[in-house]
Amino acid sequence: MAWSRKSAMFASLATALYLLGLVLRNPQLVTVAVVLLSFLTWAALRAAHADVAATGRRLDEDDQSEDAPTLASLSAMRKVSAARIFEDGEIQITLRLQNHSPLSKILEVKDTVPEVMRIKEGANYILMELGPRRETLIEYTIECPLRGFYTLGPVSIRVQDPFGLFHTEKEIHVYDDFLVFPKTEDLKEAFVKSRVPKIFTGAVNIRQPGEGSNFYNLREYVPGDSIRKMNWKAYARSGKMMVNEFERDAVSDIILIVDSRAVAETGPVSRNSLVYSTRAAASLAQYFLSRRDSVGLVIYGSDINSVDRDTGKKQLYVLLTKLAGAAASGNTPLQVVTNRIMPHINRGSPIIILSPLEGDLTLVNAVRDFRAREFDVTVLSPSSLEFEFDAKRLDRTGYEVLKTERDIMISELRGLGAFVMDWEPDMLLATALAGARGF
Amino acid sequence: MVAGQDKSLDTSHLYEGKTIRAAAPSRKKLAGKMSGAGSDIPKDAVPDVHIPTFVESLFGGPLIPKMKFLPADRMVQTLQLIGGGLMMLLAVLTYLVTPVDGTFWNWFAVWLGVDAMGQILHLLIVISALGAGFYGIFRRDARGLLVSYVLFILISLRFAASKVTFESGALDEVGEGWVKLLLVVYAVSLVMYIEVTNGIIRFSMLDTSIRTGEVYVMNVKKVLSRYHVALVVTPVIATLVALGTLMINVIIPWFFELFDPETAKRLSESVELTSVYGVALGTMLVFMVVATLFAANIPLRIQQWRESLD
Repeated sequence: MAWSRKSAMFASLATALYLLGLVLRNPQLVTVAVVLLSFLTWAALRAAHADVAATGRRLDEDDQSEDAPTLASLSAMRKVSAARIFEDGEIQITLRLQNHSPLSKILEVKDTVPEVMRIKEGANYILMELGPRRETLIEYTIECPLRGFYTLGPVSIRVQDPFGLFHTEKEIHVYDDFLVFPKTEDLKEAFVKSRVPKIFTGAVNIRQPGEGSNFYNLREYVPGDSIRKMNWKAYARSGKMMVNEFERDAVSDIILIVDSRAVAETGPVSRNSLVYSTRAAASLAQYFLSRRDSVGLVIYGSDINSVDRDTGKKQLYVLLTKLAGAAASGNTPLQVVTNRIMPHINRGSPIIILSPLEGDLTLVNAVRDFRAREFDVTVLSPSSLEFEFDAKRLDRTGYEVLKTERDIMISELRGLGAFVMDWEPDMLLATALAGARGF
Repeated sequence: MVAGQDKSLDTSHLYEGKTIRAAAPSRKKLAGKMSGAGSDIPKDAVPDVHIPTFVESLFGGPLIPKMKFLPADRMVQTLQLIGGGLMMLLAVLTYLVTPVDGTFWNWFAVWLGVDAMGQILHLLIVISALGAGFYGIFRRDARGLLVSYVLFILISLRFAASKVTFESGALDEVGEGWVKLLLVVYAVSLVMYIEVTNGIIRFSMLDTSIRTGEVYVMNVKKVLSRYHVALVVTPVIATLVALGTLMINVIIPWFFELFDPETAKRLSESVELTSVYGVALGTMLVFMVVATLFAANIPLRIQQWRESLD
């Protein structure tokens, strides 16, 4: 049984008045003190029971505790509508409370919800009277604005006297885990070109002529060419027999590299480089996998986490799960990442780096290494400068200086043949990708 | 710059002889240049957590302590009326059972040679307590209520004879039993005034939390009826306990009369038993019984027994 501040004040007041009454020989004070004490005692007698029990998947209760005999009277179970959702998605939660006791109880129930979640409908804090041998369902909906692994629970139940002087609290250890994937953007085109064909046909156009759907080049007709490939307009213009060549459609390996170093989380919680990078990586993974390409993922921060290339829907969920759990920490340089992964990826595969391009002296060297091995490098860089400037954490001069230096850095990467996009907040991913490719 | 790194990072050939650092600029360096206004933590970076103030936590909202209330609902309005009525009763009782004699302000007035000033000051304190109480009750301001509590208690602070007497008060002609009953009614109404006015704040918090959707209440009537019952039962019990302690000079002789009438007679004439020390003895006896109940864990045992009933 816990004392509230009010009851502690009442007790102190009663004691003080009682002693003062004796010292001053004042019966009024003593009488007030006696009434206060009896008031407190009665409330304590009424509140001196905590009959709360737990049933759930993780029952950590010590059943041998002093008040164990009465612990079996209440139980709680929770049901969630989905264990995996995308950012901004909603989860319906149903909490079932059962009173096994023959006594009616007035309870305060609070189902613990992660701080970043918003209660969309209903309430997770309920004050109620639960009748004898009755059960009740508490339903509410939460909105999940940020990716990550989350846990619902425990359920806190409080029984207190009518005057709020004493209360007994108990946590019912019922937990439910759920996963919030980064939200994805539908992409129609990624503008990423590979130089490395694989056996099966796929979506990424290989920058080699072959059977495909995208126009690649015009060349002179040679015997054996299909007449359907004749470009009659070119023939009319030049007087030479010309045929269309198409890019080969083939499956390619796409490698996504997400920078999750501590610096990537610079900015507000919901608007920082890492948030945008994970969303972009999720969108790209969805796009390429839907086109039967093989997608691999590397997330680097304090260590390097990688998901080997694979195709299909299962791979998408593996990647999304990894992205959901990406936490900003550490400061592993990109060069370390490139040195580790380069031997394992096909030469010439498209590589998409999602990084704020900050605080890493090896960036230029790493990109140079990729380019030297003919990898098609695209860098999408959500600028934390914009986030911080928008949040008024950077003044105008500081912003301008940093922006200039960042532009120089980007120019240098472009000079190496990488496609770099300074991705400003609120710019659509498709626009950023097109911008990176100079469209 | 480290000499080994310069070679790869040197971009002078691109920028007309100037050496441009390729790495990202240092935030640390710029941090010193930032203006004070620009260093605020953005609003969405910090979760909105309301830390209750001392007064808020003292008034102990059952759920979420907030002092900005929506307009009072019926329950709160009822409590406001009860609180107002109780306060009026308390003011009258306070004036009756706490004569000006023995108070500091009366001593001060006598010392100044203006005897009437003591009575005026006494009355002023009661009126001030009323004013602060009305403000606290109807504006639902905890500070007003706290001032009112302090003034109502302050007015009782006086040196008095050890016997329960009201010389020079309004109750000179009333019998001792009635005086004691009146005293208990005064004490109970003071405590109930504190509780009911506290309830106004607590239920305003609850009502606001319900209406803003932070809390949901199932079966409101039953939850409230429990409070209403407690508001009736608790003062009755407090009255009985207080009467038990105040009437100890009657109860003890009555008990001893069963064994020895002579001792009982002596006890009934004892000055100590009728004094404030008799009250102290009564308190001790009553609360010894209560302490025994708690020591034997009786409330829990009763609860267990009730829980096991089918």
